[in-house]
Amino acid sequence: MRYRTGILYILSICAGLLLWEVVAGQFSRVVLSPPSAVLRHLYVNTTSLLLPLLLVRSLGHAALGFLLAAAVAIPLGFLMGRSEKAFHMFDPVVNAIYAIPTVAFVPFLIIWFGLFFPGRTALVFLMCVFDMLVTVSAGARNVDPAQINVGRSFGASRWQIFGKVLLPASLPFVFTAVRIGLVRAVNAMITAELFFAAVNLGAHMQKAQNRFDSAGLLAILTILCVLGLMVQEGVKALEAKLLPWHVRH
Amino acid sequence: MSRGQRLVLQLTGIAVTVAAWEVVGRMMGEGLLAAPSVVLREYGSLLSEGTMLRELFFSLRQMLVGFGLACLVGMPLGIAMGRSRVFDVILHPWVSMLVVLSVAALVPLFLLLFGSGFNFRAAIVFMASVWYIVLTTYHGARGVEPRFLEVACSFGASRLHVFWKVLMPALYPYLITGARIGLVHAIRAMVVAEMYVIVGYGGLIHKTGLHVSTAPLLGLLLTLMTVSIVSNWLLRLAGDWLAPWYKARLTPA
Repeated sequence: MRYRTGILYILSICAGLLLWEVVAGQFSRVVLSPPSAVLRHLYVNTTSLLLPLLLVRSLGHAALGFLLAAAVAIPLGFLMGRSEKAFHMFDPVVNAIYAIPTVAFVPFLIIWFGLFFPGRTALVFLMCVFDMLVTVSAGARNVDPAQINVGRSFGASRWQIFGKVLLPASLPFVFTAVRIGLVRAVNAMITAELFFAAVNLGAHMQKAQNRFDSAGLLAILTILCVLGLMVQEGVKALEAKLLPWHVRH
Repeated sequence: MSRGQRLVLQLTGIAVTVAAWEVVGRMMGEGLLAAPSVVLREYGSLLSEGTMLRELFFSLRQMLVGFGLACLVGMPLGIAMGRSRVFDVILHPWVSMLVVLSVAALVPLFLLLFGSGFNFRAAIVFMASVWYIVLTTYHGARGVEPRFLEVACSFGASRLHVFWKVLMPALYPYLITGARIGLVHAIRAMVVAEMYVIVGYGGLIHKTGLHVSTAPLLGLLLTLMTVSIVSNWLLRLAGDWLAPWYKARLTPA
């Protein structure tokens, strides 16, 4: 069943690409390149190692920003989720800041961190941290109290309850938070490169835009799309392997 | 915990945050982070000057066109995907690909496709919100209790009847949740697109970011925050009114 669905998905993607190829034939290359031109662009620039190099450099600030965000969001999320007082105190504030589109902070980040690597890392951090914080705190809050009570009845200490009950019970949420955070980090990676000084993949996009080269733009979009999906499905696969007791529905 | 206690805690949290902001703001100075007292003073002149609200309404109107289109397209598409396997198989891979795509990365391409005018901004907002609306509606439509549909069939309801009387009411909360999630992304996309080409409210944020003082910039961000919170709250009210039987918490996915 799963196997057949996979084949159907691939067929659907092929059909879509074919349709795009036909439709793009009606337009000028400037406006919309056909998938064949995009593939050629990808092939030429991958074999010349240009795109892989740019991608690796781009991943630098994405990875650092994400790790910082995870280091802040996961402990803070547990704190907010497990302490009723902390939750009610900080929930409105977190939601209020979360409501502001993160890109709007860019002028600030430029003032504080400059136009280059630290600024980009800060944007990635900001774009990831709130999504992860909200998910982890919701997860830690929703741990079944019956499970904790069983631990208490059997005389478990606070640390034992944390390590043996709370942590395993909220690991699925931590994984969800990591998945959401990583997809956000990929998005933030390219956002940062376009909104601060253009470098790496962002600079490649700007050059393509100035040359009216839609194939170049679509090539980068394809890379980002594949990267985002790989990250998302990778975390899902890891979760299925590491947390077999957690049934996804 | 009683409602009163909760309210006290919430207000304390806000007060502590504002106080901390005031202290840090005074220490860092207006150029780095304006304190709330300074922002408040500046906010009056932002309001009376009128540029902020004018740009805001101009931008929101354009955003609402893109968002409205996204609802009009996304909701039926989500229902079709959730109820028909053919639609699901054809569309699912594309939806999952497009939903992870960064809006900012689409901006350069859409500039080539649509220019930098109204079409461009509406298209960006559309692309940013439509896939979230599709996916939320899809999960709702897939999860409709089969028993409900069977009961209707047993009583001889026509297909159209089943659709309007059983399926749609079961979907209202999902449609509203989808719209809420979509709107968050629509507002984000509006700011992204406008800051890139420097027009409208996003453009105003960009230009204000060049000022010596950060007070007007913070004022603009506060306005944006208010818009986002109020619109979300209005949609939640609409949800409660449309489907009061679902008021029991339905958390956004």
